[in-house]
Amino acid sequence: MTDDVIVAISTPYGKAGIAVVRMSGKGCLDIAKKMFTPYSKHAKYEPNLMILGKIDLIATCDKGFLVYFQSPKSYTGEDVVEFQCHGGVYVAQKIVERALSLGARLAEAGEFSKRAFFNGKMSLDEAEGVIDTINAESESELKSASSLMRGMLYNKIHSMTDTLIDIMSEIEVNLDYPEHDIEYETKENIASHVLSIKGEIDTLVSSAHQGRLIKNGINIAIVGKPNVGKSMLLNTLIGEEQAIVTDIAGTTRDVVAGSIEYNGMKFNFLDTAGLRETSDKVESIGIDKAKQTLNESDIVLFVLDVTEIAKEDMDISKLATGHNTITIINKIDLDICDEERIKSVLPQEILDTDILFVSAKDNVNIDTLKEKIYNLALSSSSTSSCIILTNLRHVNILESASNMCDEILNSYKDITLDLIAQDIRLLYDKLCEVTGESLDDKVIDKIFSKFCLGK
Amino acid sequence: MKSYDAIVIGSGHAGCEAALALARLGNNTLLTTLNLDSVAFLACNPSIGGTAKGQLATEIDALGGEMGVNADKNILQLRMLNTGKGVAVQSLRAQVDKRGYHSSMLDTLLSQENLSIKQCEVTEILTENNIVKGVKTSFGEEIMARAVVICTGVYMESRVIIGDWTAEQGPNGFVRSHGLSSSLKNLGFEILRFKTGTPARVDARSIDYSKFEEQKGDENIQTFSYKTKIQPKNIYSCYLGYTNEKTHEIIRSNLHRAPLYSGLISGVGPRYCPSIEDKVVRFSDKTRHQIFLEMENASNNEIYVQGFSSSLPYDVQEQMYRSVSGFENVRLLRNAYAIEYDCISSLSLLPTLESKTVQNLFFAGQINGTSGYEEAGAQGLIAGINASHKLQGKKPFILDRSEAYIGVLIDDLVTKGTTEPYRMMTSRAEYRLLLRQDNADMRLTQRGRDIGLVDDERYAIFLEKKRQIESCEKVLDDILDKEKVRVILEKYDELSSILPRTARELLRKSRIDIFSVQDTFHIFPDVSREVLTYVETEVKYEGYLKREKILVEQMRKNESIPLDKNIDYSSIKGLRLEARQKLDKLRPLSLGQASRISGVSPADIAVLSIYLHTRK
Repeated sequence: MTDDVIVAISTPYGKAGIAVVRMSGKGCLDIAKKMFTPYSKHAKYEPNLMILGKIDLIATCDKGFLVYFQSPKSYTGEDVVEFQCHGGVYVAQKIVERALSLGARLAEAGEFSKRAFFNGKMSLDEAEGVIDTINAESESELKSASSLMRGMLYNKIHSMTDTLIDIMSEIEVNLDYPEHDIEYETKENIASHVLSIKGEIDTLVSSAHQGRLIKNGINIAIVGKPNVGKSMLLNTLIGEEQAIVTDIAGTTRDVVAGSIEYNGMKFNFLDTAGLRETSDKVESIGIDKAKQTLNESDIVLFVLDVTEIAKEDMDISKLATGHNTITIINKIDLDICDEERIKSVLPQEILDTDILFVSAKDNVNIDTLKEKIYNLALSSSSTSSCIILTNLRHVNILESASNMCDEILNSYKDITLDLIAQDIRLLYDKLCEVTGESLDDKVIDKIFSKFCLGK
Repeated sequence: MKSYDAIVIGSGHAGCEAALALARLGNNTLLTTLNLDSVAFLACNPSIGGTAKGQLATEIDALGGEMGVNADKNILQLRMLNTGKGVAVQSLRAQVDKRGYHSSMLDTLLSQENLSIKQCEVTEILTENNIVKGVKTSFGEEIMARAVVICTGVYMESRVIIGDWTAEQGPNGFVRSHGLSSSLKNLGFEILRFKTGTPARVDARSIDYSKFEEQKGDENIQTFSYKTKIQPKNIYSCYLGYTNEKTHEIIRSNLHRAPLYSGLISGVGPRYCPSIEDKVVRFSDKTRHQIFLEMENASNNEIYVQGFSSSLPYDVQEQMYRSVSGFENVRLLRNAYAIEYDCISSLSLLPTLESKTVQNLFFAGQINGTSGYEEAGAQGLIAGINASHKLQGKKPFILDRSEAYIGVLIDDLVTKGTTEPYRMMTSRAEYRLLLRQDNADMRLTQRGRDIGLVDDERYAIFLEKKRQIESCEKVLDDILDKEKVRVILEKYDELSSILPRTARELLRKSRIDIFSVQDTFHIFPDVSREVLTYVETEVKYEGYLKREKILVEQMRKNESIPLDKNIDYSSIKGLRLEARQKLDKLRPLSLGQASRISGVSPADIAVLSIYLHTRK
């Protein structure tokens, strides 16, 4: 039984006040300490105590609790650390990713329970439940293998592993039959195969981003200077009173989210504080947060007031450059709108974006906006294949596979074929972690079907 | 009535190792053979070693077996294969004198204490309550023994085929074994029918060698045995030639007379050792196939033609051999032939090579479905050791897949089984970097010593090598003279911004070898070339070896969890049907072995491990 550190989100997916991320295994506290700064300087990591602090994540952070359970007094019987963070999937997933980058491994289905059982934390009855879980998992894997997405991913992995088996059979026949007149694959050829496999892996990994979009929704930031009608736009888009709407500039001070489903895709709208220079301290925090929200969003809706386009707008538009932006010229209900005239005053960087004239108040062009968002979300995912990775375990595996490719490409010139063979084999094993297959005699079968050998 | 501790049936490469191991471990042993003139007979190529097989031969030697020693006594040519492709896949191959190999092994057997030899045919295995108690010969004699090792090679119910001519005989016209197979069948063993073949032998005087390409041996390389001190003469050459379109045309137009295609042969042949007609049919786009000429004996003109095995009729053989450039006037001394024989399913064996059903009955060599002298010798040694351990009440001796090719071989046989004659290949070993020829002694000699097979002489050599290695390791991390480091780096074009400080760091540079480090810094005094190479490999492969060792640790965790042989798999809730059936049939000894059975999934293993915990 291994006791390496495993990590997973323990609370169910979906909207909730808090989320819990659990780590278990020898050394999990060390990992946790690397990503957590207690607010109190005197805080000690004593068992069963909640410690408030800053959870340091990649490019962001969250405020939350850390609780440490010392072996054997924990759920699994091993050392356990739990993070309680803000609810929703986003932060929790960031915590998991951070833990992975610090050396933890993603837990398999039922693994916490399995460890709990092995460490005597569960009764026999409960243990049978664990068996069921494992079985259910493998059965559901089989079932979902027939699902389209899964099937396509498997096909993709298979095409890569087939190439690897081909390469391996070339290498192995060279090693096992050195005296046969076969044109052996050169190191350069092997490297070029690895390079193209790496390309395919990276494409899949980048699709993970889109996979997350589909599962957890697309984050859409609504930005613009104060009082251009951002909150109204949000309300119209989601069709309910989610954000507080007033006509005093600077009302919205937090990122308020509302979600809708459109054509099966989830849109998460993030409202932001009005972007402007301000002396109000509270509001300036809000502005910082708005900038951060903008950076973490997938699509930016840049809102302008048709009656009042000013220099401030141009400054904000600069913040939005580099993002997938739709420029929304709002409040067309207030003006007899001459689109060409308005466009003539806009700078080039705004003209380069998709421009749409709407009235949030009268619900004009809102459906067109939704469609534009949908199309932009689809087109922004650069994947030519339409495989989308939604499973963090798969992403994790493929990311390591990609690193392994890098290592091979960096070293192949300096090492002998026996070592290259081992690298390729490990790469193969890694990819097969997605599909759960093993090598068996595939290489040997390939050798004999492909080459004429023998005495 | 005669009585022995153990009887070994068959005096091929498996039988010789088994008998010697048993006798050397103090068991009063009888070796039976169908023909004393066929002891350690090299029925096919006149060579020992080759890729993966060289590793097997050195492992046998490191454990105290005889094959390496015997091969070294009879070397005609020695080559190191795969130089330049990495130390892990380098293998020795020796052309050996066939008659010499036979007679020096016979000499060894006849001078071995505790070992009797008898030319006779065993036709029946005697058992009582599923425990072996002896054998019965064709003379009607019953000989008692507490353990029996069966090493019948390809002789059991064998049949030789040349075209439409067949004969009930063993290789090379030797008498076959008749009756033993049905005795085994009666004891419940599953009998399989396998096939193999051998090329013609030709008269050297009828060959035009100018049409062939000469291949010389390698000078100054080690031999198989760590005990061998003399450098072999290594003066003989092999020759490379090719078949051509004309050869292939002759074969194609006579295919209807090939027993393989006319249905006369029912046995399963090995894919890696196809006959020439098989090659021509399966790889029809190839316009030529290689053939190698190898000397059978130093003292005469008999030549083995590797790559040209066939079961076509004698007249077609003559035509096709003569179509080869340089063979225009060739005279065939012996025809090529195919041979079919009975063997057992190796799945009925434990990793000790003892039968799962009949106690104290062991099997080794081609009867277990393998092919090759080295594969046979390795099994013979392990079966002999384990038969001895069983008799003496000692623990089973099992090598795992990370310890030796022998471990890979036997685990494959008893866990996966084989549907064709099984040949060892380096690609079968997942921990190949650990299983090198150059560290076979470091892996196994202490084990062999503990068993009692490694004599003082061999052990002293091992200890001295170990001492030298340790002396090298001591200075590997000493800080070296900076200026000299710079000089050596410049010389090998490895200059970088961070200067290596120690020999270990220097050796990590791919272009810098240990001999130039030794020359430059005058370190590693009084260390043999062999040890230097070993130390260099350990440093250069360090990262890879570490990674492989981690994988080994993971593998061993499951390996150390035993499975009781009486587990009722059908009652385990949660196991899939296929897994239940396979586990029920194979009865693996450990969770690790169970995990390698095809058709048993990781989920099944998880279920099984939970089941084991609940029973504690």
